Amino acid sequence: MVDAARHPKIDVRTYTNVERVEGYVGNFKVQLREKARLVDVDRCNGCGECAKVCPIEVPNYFEMNLAPRKAAYVAMSQSVPLKYTIDEEACIHCYKCVEACGPLDAIDFSQEDKVVWEDIGSIVVATGFNHFDPSVIPEYGYGRFPNVITAMEMERLNNSAGPTVGNLIRPGDGKNPQRLAIINCVGSRDKRFNPWCSNFCCMYAIKNAVLLKQANPEMEISIYYIDIRTPSKGYEEFYERARGMGIHFIQGRPSLITQDDNTGNLFVHSEDVALGRVIEKEYDMVMLNQAAVPQPDVDTVSSVLNISQSPGGWFMEYHPKLRPVDSPTDGIFLAGACQGQKDIPASVSSGLACASRAGRILHSEEWQIEPIIAQVWEDRCISAQGKQCGLCAKACPYGAITVETGKAAQVTTAKCHGCGGCVAECPHNAITQMHFTDAQILAQIRALLAEKPEEKIFAFRCQWCSYGGADLAGTSHFDYSANERGIRVMCSARMDSDFIYEAFRLGAGAVLYSGCHPQDCHYITGQRVGATRADRLMKAFEKMGMSPGRFRVEWISAAEGDKYSRVINEMQETLNAIGPEKLHEENEMLRPEMEKRARRMYEVPLVTEASDYSDEMRQAMSDMEEPHGS
Amino acid sequence: MEDSPNKEELRIGVYICHCGSNIAGVIPPAEVAEWASHLPGVVRATDTLYACADSGQSLIKEDIKKYNLNRVVVSACSVRMHETTFRGAVSEAGLNPFLMEMANIREQCTWAHGHDKEGALRKAKELTAAAVAKAHFLAPLEFITVPVTKRAMVVGGGVAGISAALDLADQGIDTILVEKEPTIGGVMAQLNKTFPTMDCSI
Repeated sequence: MVDAARHPKIDVRTYTNVERVEGYVGNFKVQLREKARLVDVDRCNGCGECAKVCPIEVPNYFEMNLAPRKAAYVAMSQSVPLKYTIDEEACIHCYKCVEACGPLDAIDFSQEDKVVWEDIGSIVVATGFNHFDPSVIPEYGYGRFPNVITAMEMERLNNSAGPTVGNLIRPGDGKNPQRLAIINCVGSRDKRFNPWCSNFCCMYAIKNAVLLKQANPEMEISIYYIDIRTPSKGYEEFYERARGMGIHFIQGRPSLITQDDNTGNLFVHSEDVALGRVIEKEYDMVMLNQAAVPQPDVDTVSSVLNISQSPGGWFMEYHPKLRPVDSPTDGIFLAGACQGQKDIPASVSSGLACASRAGRILHSEEWQIEPIIAQVWEDRCISAQGKQCGLCAKACPYGAITVETGKAAQVTTAKCHGCGGCVAECPHNAITQMHFTDAQILAQIRALLAEKPEEKIFAFRCQWCSYGGADLAGTSHFDYSANERGIRVMCSARMDSDFIYEAFRLGAGAVLYSGCHPQDCHYITGQRVGATRADRLMKAFEKMGMSPGRFRVEWISAAEGDKYSRVINEMQETLNAIGPEKLHEENEMLRPEMEKRARRMYEVPLVTEASDYSDEMRQAMSDMEEPHGS
Repeated sequence: MEDSPNKEELRIGVYICHCGSNIAGVIPPAEVAEWASHLPGVVRATDTLYACADSGQSLIKEDIKKYNLNRVVVSACSVRMHETTFRGAVSEAGLNPFLMEMANIREQCTWAHGHDKEGALRKAKELTAAAVAKAHFLAPLEFITVPVTKRAMVVGGGVAGISAALDLADQGIDTILVEKEPTIGGVMAQLNKTFPTMDCSI
């Protein structure tokens, strides 16, 4: 901590929130809000005279609210920086602190939040985790029985820097407990709350037991566990040492804790797998070893930083094995437990890995980004012909397009992130996206629907979420119908209505329009552009008399492999229920309208060539079908 | 704007990866390659045990020269896995990296359709055909080069954030360490001694 504050290359900004992040790898702009401490940090010398005279006491979060702090406070004596803060919500404005500060004159009630923008090349996100609140498990009595405490409360009570100076007492009556039960997996490996193993709690339970036993060898300590997990270096040996010290390990998840109201003692009811029966034991104190859970503000942080979440709310890495600290956004990295439950060695390792990954970028003079950007065909843009339009600029989440009547729309290359929303929104087919042109996408659609189109479920997927969801379905071996055929674009915003009409014109059995959940969009608001269009399409198809379920819109994250496979299987069931004959009839009925609507796409450069090529390919495929007779 | 790709004769090479048994355990890659060899524009189609391995990449690079290929299709795993690998391989052989297209016949085919081998084979063929079709209309592109601001930001001053900030700073990079609380330290600062070495946490 102190090393970081003293390092000449580190600028520590405490009491500060990240409010906005704009830009791209090598060129981020970050808006910070430095909250008003009401203390001038350049003048404050950390003497604490202000806190001494402050008449207000509130619970100290740092002490798990077991001890008070003043409204003028530092969270702990080793705070870095050692600068006081006035808690404005608690302060009664008696100004005794101002008087106590005297000639230092460090207290400044006129201070306001400071908002600054910083230019940044690369960002490491290390926002950490939170502790599960065990009061939602009624059978353990946390919050009702004073001598049932959490692991973090134990941490402060058994800490020489804590409120009791390391003298472990029962909150109920201040007595020193002689019999302690530690219960593992509280909120972890419990389908009611969190399915995951929180990783560090087994070792954490053993650590606390060893520390207490060392200080008081007479103390009777039992650890209730489902499994003891000690997979890292030196951990199993540590567990063996604890057993050797006489700490009891009871395999069984307690079902109930009751209290003797006269003594405040607790009865833990549990099975004991070794004995093969249910046991009930009396303790002076019970420690609940809480699960690690994501931070409560994880949704805000993920939308500000534009990072997706894995199931449960951990930040999602680019690849779990090969790129474990990269976020899906180039130049943003994930350190520590915000990416998933980690112990200290793993958190430090991932922090160091992030420094190395970010260093690759920050030591380069320049960085390469994919040229999959939008380009305007100036001769096709109606703005150049003096007509008012600007739909492309409206669809752009980055303000990368400028439209001035009389001139063709202009794309600022450095600002374009390549979602393709403007391309699909342009009613005059005057914009294209490099590497995802209409001709390229049409050629793919045609190839995939060349044979037996009515049997097919055609899926449009976005690069960051639903394509990843389809990958995860495969990686997890969730079987789904092999009639699915998918293509990838960067964002659902690129899924042009023309593509959908074309797929149905060709006779597709069903079409899936899929992308990210709104809050996960890699392109800020790209998904909204896609979703609005999908709604319009849905209404149009209903009106045309298309059977329900043949056009389906689903938002599927890269973590929802199960959902991807379920959706495809449900679409297969829909097709089975309609039956091939009715489907064929319906397609014949819809074809003229689809034909009419899809025709517009053929004005786009190279689309006619793509169409001709597709006919050639279809012929080649059907020639091959004949001799093999499959 | 884009040049019409039809100005040059297209010579597409298609590589169907076995990925050991990951793909070949469900479908016969050689049959997909043989099938793809009849698609318009394809002048070379073959299967390979591991396309991403040195041997697979060398095969592609040698073929680009030997068959004068100007488009490459790799039917293998997800683009999220190896697009960069194969872009690098074709570019080493002198081809623009954007003239390579992948078909995902592992995550999105054999791994998801182990129950329906015939269906998986049909799908693998058609996904390959779609990649060939897209390859036909690919245009060479140049990466966009952007400048780099040599400054880092670490959001969160717990043990992971402090570790990252210290290492970045030791590399000579100016680093802003942002923490929402009035002190850095995070959860670790609240802990007593830490396992398994039992040293102090601050």
